[in-house]
This record gives sequence, structure tokens and C-alpha cells, in this order.
Amino acid sequence: MADEPTDPLAASKTHRPEGESLNSFQILLLLSVFVIATCGLIYELIAGTLASYLLGDSVTQFSTIIGAYLFAMGIGSWLSKYLDGDLLRWFIRIEILVGIVGGFSAPLLFVLFEYVASFRVVLYGLVGLTGILVGLEIPLLMRILEHQLSFKDLVSRVFTVDYIGALLASVIFPLVLVPQLGLIRTALFFGLLNVLVAAFVLYKFPQTRPYRTAQGMLIGFTILGLLAGFALAERVMTYTESVALQDKVIYSQSTPYQRIVLTSNAREMRLYLNGNLQFSSADEYRYHEALVHPAMQANPRARRVLVLGGGDGLAVRELLKYPALRTIRLVDLDPGMTQLFRQNELLLKLNKRSLLSPKVDVVNADAYTWIRQDTARYDVVVVDFPDPSNYSIGKLYSTAFYRELDRVLAPGGVVVVQSTSPYVARRAFWCIAHTLQAVGLRTFPYHVHVPSFGEWGYVLASRTTERTGWPSPNRLNLPAGLRYVSPLTLRDMTTFAPDMAEVPTEVNRLNNQALVQYFEDEWSAVP
Amino acid sequence: MKPNRRTFLTQTALGVAALATAPLLPGCRTAQAIPGQTLGPNHRAGHWLRGPLPDLTHTAPAETHSAEVVIVGGGIAGLSARRWLAKAGITDVLLLELEEKTGGNSAAGQNSVSAYPWGAHYLPIPDIRNRELLDFLAEAGSITGYNQAGLPLYNEYHLCHDPEERLFINGHWQEGLVPEIGVPTRDRDQIRRFFAEIETLRQAVGTDGRDAFAIPLDHSSADARYRNLDMQSFADYLTQKGFTSPYLRWYLNYCCQDDYGISLEQTSAWAGLHYFAGRKGRAANAPGSAVLTWPEGNAFLADQLRQQAETPTCTNTLAFSLEQTETGVRVLARDLARNRTVAINARTAILATPAFITRRLLGKAAPAAAPQPLTHTPWVVANLTVDALPQGPGVPLCWDNVVYGTDSVGYISANHQHLHDSPQRVITFYKPLTGHTSAQVSEARKRAYGTTREEWITEILAELETAHPSISQHVQEIDIWVWGHGMAAPAVGALWHSNRTVQSQPIGHSIYFAHTDYSGISIFEEAFYSGIRSAQAILANRQSTAL
Ligand SMILES: Cc1cc2nc3c(=O)[nH]c(=O)nc-3n(C[C@H](O)[C@H](O)[C@H](O)COP(=O)(O)OP(=O)(O)OC[C@H]3O[C@@H](n4cnc5c(N)ncnc54)[C@H](O)[C@@H]3O)c2cc1C
Repeated sequence: MADEPTDPLAASKTHRPEGESLNSFQILLLLSVFVIATCGLIYELIAGTLASYLLGDSVTQFSTIIGAYLFAMGIGSWLSKYLDGDLLRWFIRIEILVGIVGGFSAPLLFVLFEYVASFRVVLYGLVGLTGILVGLEIPLLMRILEHQLSFKDLVSRVFTVDYIGALLASVIFPLVLVPQLGLIRTALFFGLLNVLVAAFVLYKFPQTRPYRTAQGMLIGFTILGLLAGFALAERVMTYTESVALQDKVIYSQSTPYQRIVLTSNAREMRLYLNGNLQFSSADEYRYHEALVHPAMQANPRARRVLVLGGGDGLAVRELLKYPALRTIRLVDLDPGMTQLFRQNELLLKLNKRSLLSPKVDVVNADAYTWIRQDTARYDVVVVDFPDPSNYSIGKLYSTAFYRELDRVLAPGGVVVVQSTSPYVARRAFWCIAHTLQAVGLRTFPYHVHVPSFGEWGYVLASRTTERTGWPSPNRLNLPAGLRYVSPLTLRDMTTFAPDMAEVPTEVNRLNNQALVQYFEDEWSAVP
Repeated sequence: MKPNRRTFLTQTALGVAALATAPLLPGCRTAQAIPGQTLGPNHRAGHWLRGPLPDLTHTAPAETHSAEVVIVGGGIAGLSARRWLAKAGITDVLLLELEEKTGGNSAAGQNSVSAYPWGAHYLPIPDIRNRELLDFLAEAGSITGYNQAGLPLYNEYHLCHDPEERLFINGHWQEGLVPEIGVPTRDRDQIRRFFAEIETLRQAVGTDGRDAFAIPLDHSSADARYRNLDMQSFADYLTQKGFTSPYLRWYLNYCCQDDYGISLEQTSAWAGLHYFAGRKGRAANAPGSAVLTWPEGNAFLADQLRQQAETPTCTNTLAFSLEQTETGVRVLARDLARNRTVAINARTAILATPAFITRRLLGKAAPAAAPQPLTHTPWVVANLTVDALPQGPGVPLCWDNVVYGTDSVGYISANHQHLHDSPQRVITFYKPLTGHTSAQVSEARKRAYGTTREEWITEILAELETAHPSISQHVQEIDIWVWGHGMAAPAVGALWHSNRTVQSQPIGHSIYFAHTDYSGISIFEEAFYSGIRSAQAILANRQSTAL
């Protein structure tokens, strides 16, 4: 065991003159303090940034996170007095724990954000835990160094290094770490540093020999875990709300059905459902005018309308521009959504209080289950479901569902279906048209350009046996004040450039779900 | 609206995360902590059926009923016979059923999340020559019409929705049950060749002009060239034909287990081939391989059969003796709800009970037991209510989900035919307790009855954990059903080289038999047709005596 380092602390145990210059070993220990201090502040910054990204209102988030974190550090410092015995061993354990808890904090919070209802509990729990562990570090280290330096030197050096570490952290965090590594990798990287400090202490101190193998293995595993996290960070980010993070979050809510997030910047407001853009206030009028007016023009005598999906009330806003309409029934799965668009002032401004109109009857139910029991008949049915990205939504685009639509259609009635992008998902778009045809409907596919989505498609459909069809230009009676739909745009909507032109597809049935396959193939090809 | 393709990624990533974190999670929830119950063919009466029948013959019946026809057993066969009689205008019929509900092996349960099957759960779309079956399905609303070519249009809500099947193999969920991921070309070639051969057999016709493989199976050709396949095991047949691929053989073994509850080595080659070549379904709006299914499984069909006739059914009633009288038959039964004995005098009886019970009911009047009695594999079925189903990468949840290399035959998602999605679902897990010899089978049966609910749960969860790490954390309820005599197994020689058909010959003009045990292959179609055949025999006899 000749190569075992001799205890570098033992030599200086008896005399500790003031102002003594540091031996290289002590320098290394102080370097650990520096690393620890940097890590500690980084975790705090990550939690604060994450909270304001995800929950909005950054002033409140930052100050409550910092408060909670500092308080937890206080608890940690106080608890440190209960740690007795082998202080080095305690220190190693705590470093490993800080590495794990701090390192995985960001990925964990990102993932949990979408899946837990009480996200704040998790967030503050994690902040508290990290704070307590970090609070234990410095007092413990000071006790380990106690016999090394005079109290004066000890305090002055440890705290100097501590504060320099904090300065470094606060500078590199916004300038280097977030832009270069992103939050998840930053957290994992600093977790790694904590664990390396543990490894360093473990191997430099001979007293640790009895438990070296066990702790060494634990350290090894933790490092592997952190590295794996590092490799998977991209994956984690792709399905968290990274998209939503560019703007300020002004509202967010997790309902049993989805996560609703509203963001805003100087130009626009955006609504995300489970991280998918639903609309941008800057150009949603294009989408909703195009969704509603061709159908309403096609059946000018419409009195009763059914809207499926569209809990934002924006399609209803367009419908209310027809005073002759008597009732509009809106069926949306999520009461959280319709409630939000009946209460939030900003959103009420956007949908012109449409959902509060006495003509509007809001039903919160699963559209499929509901329509199978519905006995009413409608002149216009507006179908505004999410894109067919999974098998359960795919059922709402099937022949079986379209047969239900056909059943609830009054004589001369029309249906309009939002049908994803004919440019990006050409086969998916035409598959929807062909599926409507397969149940005996005549289809009128059309498309518009919505800047925040790109080229967007719809299919208007009426019964083959009836005369109703695409509105004829000389019988238009468009409401005043439309910003996109006009006699001219109506004419252009139905021409498809060769790169979006009709392609043969299968018909989407419950027992083949052809549409979901097309959709998945085509959208996954988009970088 | 709008781009939304995240769920796929999410499922995959969550799965990866779950796989990665699984070892860190606290140990499995203890089996005792999961609520639920153990069910099974009537518990109160269970020991009567398994042990000696009670000697209640001498207790005076509290009530005596009379009927023209008494049907004992309200499984598919009994219900089908009852329906057929009703359609023929015979209304003085009484059906006795031991359980609280009719349905037998096609029983179902229900909780707040979904209805779910306890046994039979699907019906492949039939050959269009199966007129009686098509008519029944049309009446049940499963067929909505016919196209110009005469092909049935199936109700899309009843056709199994896509995606139908997936297999967990080499750490990945692949689409379909025939192994593909990581399967070498040589094996793929064999798989292709096997299915080509099946296609030939599906079209094959014997020297007597009948299909080599037909449903009901008694319509199959008597041509020795095909029937002799019954004397050989499916495993031997495959070896002889050069089908050695372990992947192909795993798949075929899985099929034998799934449909017959026995292994490749035990299954008659004729039966093994019939599983594939007997399926000749055609539809206007679905491929020939399509199947019909419902959240409650074939209990849907059982209920439809029941509703299509109006004659009375007495449930909770255990028939325990039957004797021939001058005017016909006299059945003694125990009314389990009121704990008393009732007698039924009838002109004729249809015994639609499993053969081993029928033999007991008949006592000495029983036809000679088959020299090679049909093996009945015990099955254990579990319905698990889960609030999430964490999974590895690949295809999302399908209707039928199988894990490569495990003992069970996988699970089906009872929610699959629901039209709305919910994270809470019921999955129905099936496991045949296969034994190689009949001694092993009775041993397995004894063990099945002796196994506690906790032991089953531990075993089932351990198996599910391989494909669904940490699923134990998500289980809210588990109910278990043990089928001591699950279904007749078409072992080597059982179909065409036993006295299978002799056993079902009526006794005189008063006792008729109907049950899948007499077909040797336990599927809905056989039960349905065996009920019809017994009803037709009664009708024919009635006509001849009336003349
Ligand atoms: C686990 C399992 C899964 C299956 N899956 C499928 C499937 O997916 N598709 C398929 O087609 N088939 C399946 N089967 C086969 C199934 O057995 C048949 O489809 C069909 O239900 C059999 O009907 P049966 O009328 O012949 O017999 P049974 O269902 O056995 O009917 C007999 C009836 O008699 C009653 N009875 C018994 N003794 C008495 C008595 N003493 N007095 C009064 N009543 C009595 C019983 O309670 C029962 O209701 C499955 C079977 C099992 C066990």
C-alpha cells in the first residue's frame, strides 16, 4: 500500500498558525468548495428559470423559489449539527445525493410538468430537498477543515471561494449554460460535478478506505445515470413544452384531459394544448373564417349549427356573425377549456364573448359518445378536432363517425372538417376527403394559408343526393368585416397546386386506421 | 386542429424513461394490497361439480314444472338451441343455468371503467356459406347489410378496431403477432412458405367434394388424406414439412395455446391447420382475417342469443339428475337462490353441459365414455383495472397484446372498442395451464384450485412487468377467474379417431346433446351449430311423430 496517499490532514493537525500559506491539498479542498458553491447556485437558478418558464409570472416564481431555496439551506445548515461521527463519509454521501437530486431536477421537472396535476408541490418539494442538501455541504466542509486552519482563515477562505463560485454561476448561467447546454444538460452537468467532488474526497482520504468500494460503485452508477440523462436530454426536450418556452406564459392549467398553456408576446397570444399550437391570435382569424364561412355560405338558410371540438369559441364567434342562426351547440370534451374561454378577459376579447351568447349551448362530453345518442338535426356541422395523431383521435375521422355525422344532418345540411395540412400531409388530407366520400357525401376540399401553421386544409361535404355544394360566387352573402374570406379568396381556396393535388388513398375505417398511419408518416418527415 | 404528433414520441420516451427507472422504484406493491376478488364457475356449486354430485335424488322436490323441452346449460350451445326452437315456434321451453347469468364460457363482468370478458372474447367473420350464423349476426346488428356481390357489410363498431395485434419481442413492441423484429431471413422464408401452404389448404377440397377444413368442423371432408393429419402432432407435421424455424414454431405454439390451451406437441396437426385453414371469412368492408369483438367479449353474442328468444330461463339452478320416464324425461335441479329442489318433467331434454357433467347427470344412462377422453385445459383469466400502462418502445396498445417467450397468451384491452380514450382501462390476461399428459393436466387443475389469489397476482404481475415495467404501481383492481375445465383440447387423434361424434348421438327420442365438447374444438361457431343441430333433431322427430 505504498502508493496510498498519507493523510494530508494529519500532518498539520497540531499546529495551525495564522496566515499560513495553503498546501496543495487544501487548495484542492477549497476548489471543492468552489465547485459546490457554483453547483448550489446553479440548481437554484435552474429551478427559478424552470418555474417561470413553465408557470409564468417570472417575478413571483423567482422570488418564491429563491426564498424557499435559501430557507431550505438554512434548515440544512441547522441539521448539520446532528451529523456526527465520520464527517467525511457524511460529506461524500451528501455530495452524491446532491448530484442525483440536483442533476436530475431539471429533466424530472420537465417530464412531470405534463403529467402531474399538482406540479407546484413537486417543484417546491424538489427545491426544498436540494436546498437542505446544499445547506449541509458548507458547514460540514468547514468542520472537516476545522483543524487545518485557524478559524479566521477558515471562515474567510471558505466564504470567499463560496461567493466567487456564486458569481461565476450567475454569470455563466444566462450567458453560456442556457444557450449552449439548455436547462436539462446544465443540471445534469452540475450534478456530475457534485459527484466528482465526492469521488475526489473518497480517493484522497485514506480514512475512507473501509467503504471505498461501496461508495465508489454508487458513484460509478450515479455518473453512468447522469451521462445517460445527458444523452437522452434531447429526447426529453422534444416532448416537453419547449415550444411554449419562447414566450411568456400568462396562463396554464392541467385539466384531466390536457394541459392548457397560454403565452403572449408583444405581437400575439398563443394557445398550446399539450404543447401543440392551437392558434396564434395574430392569424387565427384566417383559420376560423375559412373553417366557418364556406359552410355557412353553402347553406344560407342554416338555423341550427353543431360545433364539435373548438372549445375556444373562435369558430362560434364567426358563426354568430349570422344573426339568422337560432342555436349553436358546441360539444367539447374539456370543461376546463370552455370554462377558460368564458372567463379569461383576454380570451373573451379574442372570442368576442361568443360562448356566453344565449344562442350557444355548451356541452362537455366526448363527441363520439355524445353524437351516437343525439337525436337533433343540424343544418351545418363544424368539425374542429385535433389532428389524427393517435388511434383514439383517428376514430373521429372514420367512416363510422362520418356516418353518424350524416345521420344528424338536416336536409340540405353541410359538414366541414378541419383536415390537417394538404401540403405537409398530403395523403392524410386526401384520405379524409375520400373517407367522407365513402359514406356517400360529396366533398369540396379547400385550403388556406395560415402563417403560424402553414398551408391548411378543410373538406366541406354535403349529401350526394342534394343540391347543396360549394357556395356559388353570385349568391354570396358574406357578413361585413371579414378579414380573410372574400368572394375572391373563396374562389381560390378550391384550387390545389400540383404539390398538394389529389392522390389516391385508402378510406379510413375503425378497423384499418389508415389515416393515422399517413399522418404519422408525413408529419414525422418534417424536421 | 393543428400539428399534434407528440403523443407517439411521448409514449416512446415515457416508455424508455420507465424502463430506465424501473430498477430504482420501490419494490412491487404487495399482492394483498390490490383490491379484487377470485371468481369462477359457481362457487357454491363448484364442489358439487368437481366432487361427487349431491345425493338429493330422494329429497322431495318443492316444485314440479313441466315443459315440452328442457335445456340444461345456458352456454352458447344451450342458448342457440333455445333460439332455434323459438324461431321454429316451440315456446314451451325451459332453460336451466347454474350461474347467475347465462353465457357459460362466454361470461363477462363490468366495472366503472369497462365491461370485460371472462372467457371467449372474439368471433372471426364467418364463411358466407354459414348462412345461419350470418342471419344471427344480422339480427344481432353485427351485419348491417349485403353488397351487390352478396358479401356482408359488418357493423364497424363490432369489427375489431385497428391496431389489432402486437408482440413484445427483443425489447420492442412490433405490429402483428408473427415475429418480425430481429428474425433472420431464413426464418422469414419459412414463415412465408407456411402461410402459402395454409392458403392452399384453405382452398383445398377433398375427394368427396367437401372443403378439407370447414367450420363447423363436421362439414369437413372425410378424405383420409386430410383426416389422417389428426393422427399426427402439429409439431411432427411441421418438422416433416421442414418448418424448423424457432420463431415460426413459437408463433404456432402460441396459436395452439391461445385457441386450444395445449402445446404444439400435443395438438393434432389437423386441428393446428384448421385454426388457419378453416377461416374463410369474407366481407364487403373488411379483410377476410377480420374479427368481431366487443368490450364484454362474446357475452355480447350470448346476450343476443338470449334476447332472440322469449322462453323462460332459470338461472342459479343446478341440474343434478336426469332420468328417462314414460313420457320423456325428468330433471331434478337445485334452486340455489332459494335452496330447494325442483323437478321438471319434459318430453325431451337438451343437455348443453360440458361432457364430464353430462356424464354425471346421466349416470348409468351415459353413453360409453370415450376411450381417449378429451383433455380439458384449465385456464386462469385475470381482469386488471389499471390507471396507466407504462410500456417499452414501439407500437402503442393494441386489442391483443402478446409477450414473446412467456407462459401466458397475453392480454386483450377491453377498452379497445370504446370510442373514447381514457387512461384508465381494463386488460384481460389469459393463461392456459398446459400439461403434457392427462395426469399433468389434473395436477395443474388441482394446483389451479389451490393457488391463492395473492399467488396468482404475483405470478401475473411478474409476467406483465417484463413488458410493462412498474405496471404493479398502476393496478387498481385485479379479479381472477379460474376455469377448472376451460375447454376441450383437440389433442392428437381426438377429432377424427375417437368416438367424439358417437357420444353426442341422442338417446332415444328424449335426450339430445349440444356442447363444444362434442366438436373437440371449442369456438363460438361450434357451440352455435351444435345447439342448432340438437334443435333441428328435435324438430325433425316432432314432425315425424306428428305425421
Ligand atoms: C378462457 C377461454 C377463452 C375462450 N376464448 C374464446 C374466444 O375468444 N372465441 C371463441 O369462439 N371461443 C372461445 N372460448 C371457447 C368457448 O368455450 C366457446 O366459445 C363457447 O362459449 C362454449 O360454449 P358451450 O355452450 O359449448 O359451453 P359452456 O360455455 O361450457 O356452456 C355450458 C353451460 O352449462 C352450464 N352448466 C354446467 N353444469 C350445469 C348444471 N349441472 N346445471 C345447469 N347448468 C350447468 C354452465 O354454467 C354453462 O353456462 C374460450 C374458452 C375459454 C375457457
